[in-house]
Amino acid sequence: MSTVSFVLTRILRYVFLGLVLGFFAIPLLWLATAPFDRTPKITTSMPDFALDNFRTLMDNPYALGSLLNSVYLAGGTAILVVVLAALAAYALSRVRVPGRDALLYGLLLLSSIVTGTATMVPLFELAFRLNLIDSRLGVILILSGGLLPAAIFILKDFMDSTPTSYEESARVFGAGPLRIMWQIVTPVVRPGLATVAVWAVANVWGNFLVPFLLLRSPDKAPAAVIMYTLYTEGGQANLALLSTFSLLYSLPVVLMFVFVSTRYGFRFHGGIKR
Amino acid sequence: MAAITMRALTKVYPGGVRALDALDLDIADGEFFALLGPSGCGKTTLLRTIAGLEIATGGSVSIGDRDVTGMAPGRRDVAMVFQDYALFPHMNVRDNIAYPLRIKRVDRRTRTEKAAGTASSLGLAELLERRPAQLSGGQQQRVALARAMAYTPQAFLLDEPLSNLDARLRLEARTFLKRLQRDLGVTTVFVTHDQAEALALADRIAVMQGGRIRQVGTPVEVFRRPANTFVAGFIGSTPMNLLDAVVQGGRISVAGVSIPMPESAAGLVNDGDDVTFGVRPEYLEFRTDQIGGSVPGEVVVVENLGSSSLVSLDLRDGAGSAQVVVPEGAEPEPGDRGWLLPKPGRALLYRDGDLVGAASAERTPAVGVAS
Repeated sequence: MSTVSFVLTRILRYVFLGLVLGFFAIPLLWLATAPFDRTPKITTSMPDFALDNFRTLMDNPYALGSLLNSVYLAGGTAILVVVLAALAAYALSRVRVPGRDALLYGLLLLSSIVTGTATMVPLFELAFRLNLIDSRLGVILILSGGLLPAAIFILKDFMDSTPTSYEESARVFGAGPLRIMWQIVTPVVRPGLATVAVWAVANVWGNFLVPFLLLRSPDKAPAAVIMYTLYTEGGQANLALLSTFSLLYSLPVVLMFVFVSTRYGFRFHGGIKR
Repeated sequence: MAAITMRALTKVYPGGVRALDALDLDIADGEFFALLGPSGCGKTTLLRTIAGLEIATGGSVSIGDRDVTGMAPGRRDVAMVFQDYALFPHMNVRDNIAYPLRIKRVDRRTRTEKAAGTASSLGLAELLERRPAQLSGGQQQRVALARAMAYTPQAFLLDEPLSNLDARLRLEARTFLKRLQRDLGVTTVFVTHDQAEALALADRIAVMQGGRIRQVGTPVEVFRRPANTFVAGFIGSTPMNLLDAVVQGGRISVAGVSIPMPESAAGLVNDGDDVTFGVRPEYLEFRTDQIGGSVPGEVVVVENLGSSSLVSLDLRDGAGSAQVVVPEGAEPEPGDRGWLLPKPGRALLYRDGDLVGAASAERTPAVGVAS
């Protein structure tokens, strides 16, 4: 191959990469600049620095409360999912159940339907009959139900790669199942639990449909739903509010990722290297 | 401390595999006992059944005077050291050693003291703050032993205690383990597939095959008088030569040569019996000249063992091959002719796979005396 065509290929490749990068980077750039712009537009430009947008946001009666609601829903779901998934995954990993893999794959397949658009009507009906409309608990339960199969699937892998000799050793010393679960298994699979918790939080944080359907009162709505209401009286998207709110909305998740990844590293280090 | 008794112990796995087959065994109080056999012989299943990690499908296990057959592992008062040591990776050495006491609800101060005491008696005092991943294999093993000791059990169960160590460390750990067991005087059962390990460590050995015990005895008994051809072939760093032979007029005929009847079998076999002549390579003399009672062959392979060589010969008339240990300086070359002369008093005779001799009639006693 000649030098010329080599250089040309190189140039083309970098141009292509540059375009792809720009496609993803420009919206992020907008998110970083627009909130601080006196008059935010739909285009990205150097901001005319001002904090007016944040003041406007403070005046919105639901904006800050909705972020707390999001924390509440995401936290509740994450705790429920981690606890239940850990117990189920441990049992499925250690106890011989006929048709276990079929069960797991079946659940995984169905779970993508449960919280999906297809079951909107039956879910609403179910929540209505159980008196869970306009209840945060209802949202948490339904979201947890949707996330559990995948969480069990992920955690079972972590449980499977934990040597059974740890538990057997503890059993011979007289430890019961709950003690083993709490003192031996949980610390060893902690990176897995952290992964599932972060994944659950991120999922709930971004979920619009379920809280939109089930929560009636705006003071219970999470950020993802409130974002949908940020319009000017003219029906136009209120860019000043939207950009500022988007920034506040994405910050907690980003911070959580940074915190968890420095704390737990998203690595699995169960077992002793041999 | 306690004796361990097994009666008609049977374990059949759900798939139908019979891992233990109506097994009777008595392990004396304070004894260092080896379960030896090839992989899949049921030795680990037996150890796990004593620990309670496997539930016997038949028969009984007693520890001391308690029948523990259906008892949960935690109530049997035994400590097990696993092949991978099973040290908890999220606890430091101190917490690992103290963990059995934490389960027993011993208060924190007592268990910290006990852990420190046990650790220093095994030379681990400097390592209390370390995590298992920061320890060498030998140190991990000692932490696992310390954890078992802190539990002060009736018996120790060790699963392949030396197999995770490299060769040099293994010898060191072997000596350490033997000394530790003697000092503690606690009944200890260990599983191994390495016959040298079993011979070196154990007071008595049970050689297992296919879920059954083929011989129980002291290392000397098992080495000198293997009860059957399986044990004969399994014990010893080089397997025993087992040659087809026929009894002829008070002597036996091996590869067309008439050699004297082994003393232990004298008067117990009849003329014309098909037997197996067994002699260890160490108990054969390699000669370059023919004398009475020596078996001729042709050297095929010479393997250097350091201070001696292991020489393999093909015998005449397709009578198989035999191995002999030759001292250094006297090694033959492949292709040389040579004669093998059994040393008197060391050869054995097997009929239908079982040893012919006084000991095989009275059966090796099941209960041995701890040294």
